[in-house]
Amino acid sequence: MAHIKVVRRSMRPEEWTDLRFGWLKRHIYGEKWEIENLLIRDARQVDEMQFEYYSDDYRPLKRGDMYFTPDGTAFIKAEVKIPEELKGKELWFSLKTAAEICVKVNGKYIGGVDPNRERMLLSPYIDVNDTLHFEMMGYNRSKPDDERNPESLSVRGCRQIFEGAYICTINDDVQSLVYDFELLLDIAKSELFNEDYRSFLNKELNNAMNCIDFEGDELTGVKEAKQYIEDVIYSNDTYKGSGDVALVAHSHLDIAYYWRRIHSVQKNLRTVLIQLRLMDRYPEFKYAHTQPYTYETLEKYYPEVFEELKEKVKNGQFEPVGAMYVEPDCNVPNAESLIRQCLYGQKTYEKFFGKRVNNAWLPDVFGNSWILPQILKKSGVDYFVSNKMSTWNDTNRFPHNNFIWRGIDGSDVYACVPPTHFITWNMPSQIQENWEAYIDKDSGGQTLNMFGYGDGGSGCTEEMIELMRRFDKISVMPKCTHTSGAEFLEKNLKDNKNLQVWDGELYLEMHRGTFTTKSNIKRANRRIEEKFRTAEMLCVMRGEDKTEEITELYKKFLVNQFHDILPGSHIHPVYEDAMKDYSEVEKALDEIIGTGSKYFNTLNFNRDALTFVKNKKGTATRYGEKGNWIIPNMKPLSSANLRKTDFSGEWFEVRTNVIETPFYIAKLNSDGSMESLYDKELGREWVKGDFNKLKLYVDCPGNYDAWDILPNYREKQVELEVKSPVKVSESDGESVTFTVILATEKSEWEMNIRFFRRSRGIEVESNVNWNEKHKLAKMEFDCNILTRKAVCDTSAGYIERETHRNTTWQQARFETCHHKWCDMSESGGGIALINDGKYGVGFLDNSMSLSLLRATERPDVTSDIGEHSFCYMIVPHESDAVNAGINKLAIQYNTPLVKSDCQWNMPTFEPLYLQAVKKSEDGTMTVIRLSEQDGKRGKIKLSQKVKLLNMLEDIEGETDTIEYTPFEILTIGV
Amino acid sequence: MEKYINNILAPKLQGDGGWVEFVSLENSELTLLFRGECSKCLILHRCTEWIEQEIKRDLKKIVKVTAVRKKPYFQDV
Repeated sequence: MAHIKVVRRSMRPEEWTDLRFGWLKRHIYGEKWEIENLLIRDARQVDEMQFEYYSDDYRPLKRGDMYFTPDGTAFIKAEVKIPEELKGKELWFSLKTAAEICVKVNGKYIGGVDPNRERMLLSPYIDVNDTLHFEMMGYNRSKPDDERNPESLSVRGCRQIFEGAYICTINDDVQSLVYDFELLLDIAKSELFNEDYRSFLNKELNNAMNCIDFEGDELTGVKEAKQYIEDVIYSNDTYKGSGDVALVAHSHLDIAYYWRRIHSVQKNLRTVLIQLRLMDRYPEFKYAHTQPYTYETLEKYYPEVFEELKEKVKNGQFEPVGAMYVEPDCNVPNAESLIRQCLYGQKTYEKFFGKRVNNAWLPDVFGNSWILPQILKKSGVDYFVSNKMSTWNDTNRFPHNNFIWRGIDGSDVYACVPPTHFITWNMPSQIQENWEAYIDKDSGGQTLNMFGYGDGGSGCTEEMIELMRRFDKISVMPKCTHTSGAEFLEKNLKDNKNLQVWDGELYLEMHRGTFTTKSNIKRANRRIEEKFRTAEMLCVMRGEDKTEEITELYKKFLVNQFHDILPGSHIHPVYEDAMKDYSEVEKALDEIIGTGSKYFNTLNFNRDALTFVKNKKGTATRYGEKGNWIIPNMKPLSSANLRKTDFSGEWFEVRTNVIETPFYIAKLNSDGSMESLYDKELGREWVKGDFNKLKLYVDCPGNYDAWDILPNYREKQVELEVKSPVKVSESDGESVTFTVILATEKSEWEMNIRFFRRSRGIEVESNVNWNEKHKLAKMEFDCNILTRKAVCDTSAGYIERETHRNTTWQQARFETCHHKWCDMSESGGGIALINDGKYGVGFLDNSMSLSLLRATERPDVTSDIGEHSFCYMIVPHESDAVNAGINKLAIQYNTPLVKSDCQWNMPTFEPLYLQAVKKSEDGTMTVIRLSEQDGKRGKIKLSQKVKLLNMLEDIEGETDTIEYTPFEILTIGV
Repeated sequence: MEKYINNILAPKLQGDGGWVEFVSLENSELTLLFRGECSKCLILHRCTEWIEQEIKRDLKKIVKVTAVRKKPYFQDV
């Protein structure tokens, strides 16, 4: 017997309600008076407050006209006399648009419109003459912020059709009823709520709609419908919900992403403006706003709005959150950069509002380094908030939402990883979803639900607040409390003895490609981090006060550590901006560093590793520049003249592709990989498989192209042609270089493999003309080592990572972030890889694979195409990484020698690493930052007392003995 | 024309996450390759009309733009 599926073809009652709801919304506006004398001038933003105009004059803008241009800003204006029929009424300005428009009336900013809202209150800004002088500035967005929202998607595109601008009145009763229906229909349609209650709602919402007569000239029955909802639905408490949810309003503002940094100035203005106007109307409304950088741009360019903001901060409605200067990537920046994010962030808040904040607000960052808790704690931050691990992990469910996060050094911060997305629009179903996903119901107190639109700012809407006012009338909803970010954290986490501890990095099981994408940005970041250290140190030694200049440079640099800039997940113009910023910052730092008659060792330990010193008459070449490989043998923080060693003896022998050096007998394959690396000193073979083998994998992670590497990336490999087989290309008394050229159809990869007379390191320099698409280049090292762990530099200590795949937790970490080095060792010896700007690495059993280049196309279709140069050093060693001094080698490798006539007059603070030396922010002392990086504890006796500081440079004590514990970062004042 | 497309117009489209490349100009038919966000734009014709206007204004040439879309592999269904 054939099965016949029963399909209902007639309208269901729920559809009838939906249909009438659409009709109801047509009556929100009462009177509408079109502004017909609008004028528009198209432009394109070229700097934060600079625009290039398409025409000298404004042109008329009429309904139906096309407006906005690609990447365009439009200026719109009008002079309006309020019509007689509207005088004395509460008037609104309405403009439905896909663009982001800030509106000024009679010289005052009155609000903003964008795809999430279309009107603003006008009445308070009408002058005594009943005139309105409109000035609008809008930036069009071709791509909606949130592609989950079909309404936003439908208006995408660079050129929009103008739908008219209106002065209008609102039918408050209709609007209020619309909010009731929005709220209740969301529950009725959500399977997260009790089925019987939803049936009840569907029945009673239909009944409520039946009160309204849509047929007559005037809409009647609205009050009755509202009363019906009050009496029948809101009064019903038969159905019980559960839960306790804190609702915190915020707006996620990517400083750069699908837009440039220059655009975020106005995005921020619009966002702030909208929240200020909501605060005017809703005194209970509180809103949290992150990133001190955005406050700075507001204060600089829109001081009148900033003054309003300050007033709202005073009354508690506007809440500065997030101690860090921007919301940075928290994997790639080094410890000092993260400290400066906190220092300059907190200083900015202090300057503007006379207070610091005690939280880090990082909803969207792509995982968090284990070094962060200590940095936060010592920067006045007790609470950490970040959403990604709960909502984006692709393998494991992160086991906590409200918990304690323990850092590498043992520091604890209270942490909240909210159960759901950081962008919600405060719908009951989203709140219910949050509660149901909340893991720590028994121990964590309330769950945090953030609401407000992002990623390009925008924030909360009137609707979100109106819905919130109704939540306590709904018996099936969790208990909801609108609160500030700080209130939520202190109420639920502070002194909560039931919280579980997560001891380790907060690894995000997604976005693993962001350790590698946009290779040039990451390398510049590494190089400049080092230059800041050198520049500040030299300034202190010279007695120069360049604090102001360096602070400005640092801030420009820190902005580029934003979590869609440094990770590489941005459009092409953002890349160009970042590289321009880096170039300017680096040039300025080079000028500050200057030169001198002698070389200066900026490191506080003996500089004993072979180092390349540039010299036009040199006999070696590195990165295309001549120089010599020299062992400086310089004492800590001392000066010296350096001379190359003239060694004319035969120190290496090459027999076909076998090279013998004082340390190794290495057999090279034609592609530059090593078939064998026999260690003469240690009497062992290091190679077991592919070693120093370049592999290109097909890398197609899908929509999150720039962000992700998938676990199956090894499935398909691309053949590399050996265009020029390995052969000796250069040699002198210190080094011998083999060069090989590999190629694909589109790319060419020159690899220079360098062996040394006096160093165990084997350096590999790559110069790549990269024209690939969807490829991941990895250098593979199958080591003759039996181990179950790899060790990775974090920039402030090391983290151990398992190399097996026993559980899903190890399986998920197939690609991880490291800094200057990684290592695999047995107790008797191991191999370290030291790099000068790479961050992605994978470990599997005895294999390390260093991620070198990617070739993604979203968001930037030309991502990484072009020239790349980078180096890494293979360092086989005795013992383990710590005892072999790999960290010090890596620091030397990343710290070029400088020439400077300076003298260090303070202790060297060995064995701690001198991470930073700077003038204090208040100019009263020298600040010295010391970092324990080997996992040891001890004491340093000083000849005089020093001040003990936190990272914000507050004095917390005094001592003449520095006591340190494993992985501790100490700050002292001299 | 190629320089104009690549140097003047392309940066503007890139600012919106889009991408345009010159392909050919034969008589008055200008073929352009659209990638990135442009490749999936539902109202690309508005943009190509704008390009025609810009060319007319800046280069004093009348062209008809033929748009070729190259979607990212993950959207090429």
